[in-house]
Amino acid sequence: MSDLTGETPEAPEPTPEGAIPSVAARLALYQRAGGVITPILTALIAFLIGGLVVYATTGKNPVSTYKAIFKGSGLSWLSPVSVHWHTFYPNGIDWTGWDTNNLTALNLQQTLIIVTPLILTGLAVAFAFRCGLFNIGGNGQYTVGAITAVQFGIWFSGLPGPLHVIIAMIAATLAGAAWGGIAGLLKATTGAHEVITTIMLNWIALWVGSYLVGFNGPLQDPRQISAPVTRPIAQSAHLHVFWGNPLLQGLHVGFFIALAALVVYWILLNRTTLGYEVRAVGFNAEAARYGGISVKRNYFLAMAISGAFAGLAGSIDLLGWQFNLDLTTVQSVQIGFIGIAVALLGRNSAVGILFSALMFGALLNGTSSRNLDPSIFRPELAGNLTRIIQGLVVLFVGADLLILYLWQARKKVRLSQRKGAEQA
Amino acid sequence: MVDEAPVLELRGITKRFPGVVANDSVDFDLRRGEVHALLGENGAGKSTLMNVLYGLYHPDEGEVLVKGKPIRLHSPKDAINHGIGMVHQHFMLIPVMTVAENIVLATEPTHAGVLLDYGAANRRVAELSKSFNFAIDPGARVESITVGQQQRVEILKALYRAADILILDEPTAVLTPQEARELFEILKTLTNEGMSVIFITHKLNEVLEVADRITVLRRGKRIDTVDRQGATEQGLARMMVGRDVLLRVDKAAPEVAESLLSVDDLHVVDDRGLEAVRGVSFNVRSGEIVGLAGVDGNGQSELIDAITGLRRVSSGLVTIGERDVTGDNPSSILDRGLGHIPEDRQLRGLVLEFSLAENLALHDFDKPPDSRWGWLFPRQLIRRARDLLKQYDVRGGGPQTRAAALSGGNQQKVVLAREIGREPSVLIAAQPTRGLDVGAIEFVHRRLIEARDNGKAVLLVSLELDEILSLSDRVLVVYEGQIVAEHGPDVSEEQLGIEMTGGGREVAA
Amino acid sequence: MSVRAEQLQRAAWTKASAPKTIGICGIALGILTLSLALPPFGVRTVPTPVAVGILGAAAGIWAISRREARIGWIAVVLSLVGVAGALLAMRATSSNLEGVFVWSALIAATLRYATPLTFAAIGGMFSERSGVVNIGLEGMMLTGAYFGAYGADKTGSWVGGLFIGVLSGALLALVHAIFTITLRADQIVIGTAVNFLALGITGYLYNEHYGNNGTPNNLPAVPDVNLRFLAHIPPHGFGNFLYNSIGQLNLMVWLSLLLLPISYVVMFKTPVGLRIRSVGEHPKAADTLGISVYRTRYAAVTLSGALAALGGVFLSIGFVNSFTENMTAGRGFIALAALIFGGWRPFGAFSAALLFGFSSALAQRLPDLSASESAAWPVLFQTLPYVLTLIAVAGVIGRSIPPAAIGRPYVKQ
Repeated sequence: MSDLTGETPEAPEPTPEGAIPSVAARLALYQRAGGVITPILTALIAFLIGGLVVYATTGKNPVSTYKAIFKGSGLSWLSPVSVHWHTFYPNGIDWTGWDTNNLTALNLQQTLIIVTPLILTGLAVAFAFRCGLFNIGGNGQYTVGAITAVQFGIWFSGLPGPLHVIIAMIAATLAGAAWGGIAGLLKATTGAHEVITTIMLNWIALWVGSYLVGFNGPLQDPRQISAPVTRPIAQSAHLHVFWGNPLLQGLHVGFFIALAALVVYWILLNRTTLGYEVRAVGFNAEAARYGGISVKRNYFLAMAISGAFAGLAGSIDLLGWQFNLDLTTVQSVQIGFIGIAVALLGRNSAVGILFSALMFGALLNGTSSRNLDPSIFRPELAGNLTRIIQGLVVLFVGADLLILYLWQARKKVRLSQRKGAEQA
Repeated sequence: MVDEAPVLELRGITKRFPGVVANDSVDFDLRRGEVHALLGENGAGKSTLMNVLYGLYHPDEGEVLVKGKPIRLHSPKDAINHGIGMVHQHFMLIPVMTVAENIVLATEPTHAGVLLDYGAANRRVAELSKSFNFAIDPGARVESITVGQQQRVEILKALYRAADILILDEPTAVLTPQEARELFEILKTLTNEGMSVIFITHKLNEVLEVADRITVLRRGKRIDTVDRQGATEQGLARMMVGRDVLLRVDKAAPEVAESLLSVDDLHVVDDRGLEAVRGVSFNVRSGEIVGLAGVDGNGQSELIDAITGLRRVSSGLVTIGERDVTGDNPSSILDRGLGHIPEDRQLRGLVLEFSLAENLALHDFDKPPDSRWGWLFPRQLIRRARDLLKQYDVRGGGPQTRAAALSGGNQQKVVLAREIGREPSVLIAAQPTRGLDVGAIEFVHRRLIEARDNGKAVLLVSLELDEILSLSDRVLVVYEGQIVAEHGPDVSEEQLGIEMTGGGREVAA
Repeated sequence: MSVRAEQLQRAAWTKASAPKTIGICGIALGILTLSLALPPFGVRTVPTPVAVGILGAAAGIWAISRREARIGWIAVVLSLVGVAGALLAMRATSSNLEGVFVWSALIAATLRYATPLTFAAIGGMFSERSGVVNIGLEGMMLTGAYFGAYGADKTGSWVGGLFIGVLSGALLALVHAIFTITLRADQIVIGTAVNFLALGITGYLYNEHYGNNGTPNNLPAVPDVNLRFLAHIPPHGFGNFLYNSIGQLNLMVWLSLLLLPISYVVMFKTPVGLRIRSVGEHPKAADTLGISVYRTRYAAVTLSGALAALGGVFLSIGFVNSFTENMTAGRGFIALAALIFGGWRPFGAFSAALLFGFSSALAQRLPDLSASESAAWPVLFQTLPYVLTLIAVAGVIGRSIPPAAIGRPYVKQ
């Protein structure tokens, strides 16, 4: 066997046993390892197993179930884009020439309304991940943001629309940042694990929220004593609806804010010194510390920024289509948890998060009680099916060994191919 | 007395790892009652071979024979059952458990098969340790006894399992010269009892002192097996490296100028709240290398951490140039003109997932020209990296290669490029050559001397006395958090060894 | 004797002296604060409990700053809870208070709330002592709760429910084990996945089998143990007190108390425990002695799932006699906090579980005492266990030392 350079190639030094790859490092590895194929595969496997669950427990055909969910998501609207193309052009404030009976379009609007906060809670998880932290507190941060948005949406009702919206959003973002920042601060000062603290903060937010909007709570609408619900926000705080009928929950401009947040996320991480620090801490906190970076400061900042994304999500939902907050909503927030699956499946990358948010948004909307034909599959079941799929996605994304193995095998094959070529 | 029939034989052992052949059909035999040294550089394949013998690795080719019979080793358990015991370089001891617990683990004496019989465990360990003259308290927690004692616990672990073949992997790496000598005495006792010992090392002087026969490995291949009689340091070194090696580093006489780093009556507390640095004072002047010699864990890490701002100073002063930097944060101390090559390049020196360009910017990313107003300029990072990588002869990747993809030597070159490349006035190097091969060690040493000749003040902290002696212009000895002696470059290894362990305290003027 | 040894000894000496005493005084003051406003004392002015509470907290902080962290934090927490509780209690009417703070009832409730936490925390101890972080306790508890109820319903006996519930928890833990041990995935991510899965699966099956009607009312329940003889212990008042506090507890409460010494002995006095701990401290050392790291961890994680599921079974068919979606409500995480707070030891974890249980019991019962029916603020008491956990975790983590190899997948060569 001849070696062309005359030098034996030096093998990379194995990482020491003490170094456990952080989740950030693992996900970075996936990205190099499998590109876009493995997350798609992961999602497919999750759906497959989910389908088996459907079949095993209800005896229903999983294919038709998924078909119904897909139909409910409205994603099919996108495929024959050319057919609908003319409808993209608005004529005045309302859509004209739009067939409001086109259920597919309505469903797609609904899906994108759900995708919007999912992108943001996905970012909330992903940003913390990049700093080596696991933010399970998206729910609490979202709730705090929503409550703040309600209050600010009710106050300042005299302000002009855009200004009012901006004020309410900023306040909610800051509230979310503060809520996330608590966990970051505790981590930085006492070393308390963020997983436990954020979970506790979720429950605290839930009960404080329940107190605020519940019966006789300070935010409960005094005109509706029988219902645990806040007053509606002022019309000036509503987000502009740009597609669909505002009265039928059309798609609001919050969607673009979420898209912008994706860009902000990318720039923040890759083009600022803050992002550099966050990534350094996330990959190797000890080396960052030796390099002069304050690990504690970054723990705090990363959690606060994560919380800001989630808080923003809460305000967008509220200003975009909820307009008031009721007890049931406060107590059944799930969006922060789904954000974990979104971030993991999207591998902490901006583009990945967009697509995985689309997938989960479609799944959620497709399984909602309004969109799923009960004769095909019961929506309550479908909602839980979504959770199962979400759990499976996290499970499989977490298990990197398979991917690692495939990646290494590929490298080995390449190496032996090259050697074979040299020998020949 | 040496019996001629081998108790152990390895025939044609080959072990491959992705991209490397760690062992290339190696033969090896061990006779009853002998100490057989396995000599080779780091990465020569010594540890791989022994892990094969201990059942931790499975060889791709070749066979293992114990007392003439071929055996299969699937796990350490098989090795133990065949009477093979191993003392690993990094002790396989559980610090929070007692000596007895560590020794009886997996073969515990019990009451009625259910409850662990602590009385019996302590008794048996005490008896065993007494029969070999090891003064060890079976009830002591492992973390509270000395390193030398911990090593004896490891040996007891093997003896408790009735081993008659003992593998010692780099046993003196963590010991002082005196402790090493005690170990050699123990080995003599063991071989007199009929035990056979495989002694893995890369230190030539030890080999000549302790071994009956010597097998040299180089790049996974067996070069030769020789008797101790007639073997010389030079000859062994040539076999080990494959060429003549300089055992001394060439350097000019120092041109010492003003003091650049001074430490004055420094007190520092460790993680457990105990005082680890107790009133240390010294200075390092421009144009000299000051070596800090000492056994691991005598306050060196805490001292460095305190100087670099990574650890709080309880009292005392740290001055860089004219400026008091005591209690400043790490990044401002780095900006004051300090370079720091940390102890462990993979854990502390580099962010392995970062590109080389990003790694090289680890100190300066937050100031122009790397960034402005918090805005990072990746192209600038790459531009600078390209120059530095060329200057420091980093091979195996460009600015955008991940650090993890480089070999250990090249990784260390990246750290050097960053720390020396920013032209600090003071350079602290902690264990800068640990785990590197000879070529890389030479490179690092040359760069350190170059830095010295350029008028920097270099503080070298190393556990390797060889390194300290060949590079330093002055040597400080640290023991239990205090500087106990100061010497010129010509001090003997023995003298340092005594002082490092608290013997003959005399503070030089 | 070396200087280091002297220092160690000196440190040990100071440790046992002033700060500890002051810290314990702080704890006593904290307890006093709360009791001041309650029946036997019934102080009705604001300044008194506040002053006493501040004194207690100050003593705690002093102890913390003198390296007596655990005791100090307990003192601070108790004092603050005491002040809050006392102030709230003052807003309530005296007669209501008598009702709530019939101490024996409070003790019984505390034990009931502590039971699921104890089961899960002990389960967590086995997993974490073997080196596997188990964030999935919550999910394993929830599966236990659902399948306990389902099994009891289908087999018609609580024994069947118990068995099926425990089995389900063990199976889910096995999934956790496969992914974290064999596939070496990140333990926290997989734990989270396990929680999602449990939430989805139990919710799905619950809807499939019980729909909107909920679990049947006649669900076979784990029986209470009626110790009537306690009531006859003289003096009469004391006997009644005993009977009301521990005389009518559920069988599983006693089971959890029985589990404490058993798990202690297994973990610290048997070869099995030594091996589990060795695998969690230094897996390679254990491996080189022939202990199978993977097998030990599999067993420990599976056992942890079974125990956590026992906690869940208690919740559904021992405590409230029904199943509702997500009924564990974060208890798995509180159990985890209790485990950490208790230094990965059974009795330590139990003490913490009692503290959290007490706060839950208080939270459940205090709203009853609200002066006016329509007040909203009693809802806030629901946050009490979570706030307490938050404070406890912040105060103790980083100070109590976890098993050395925790969270690290083991790679066998």
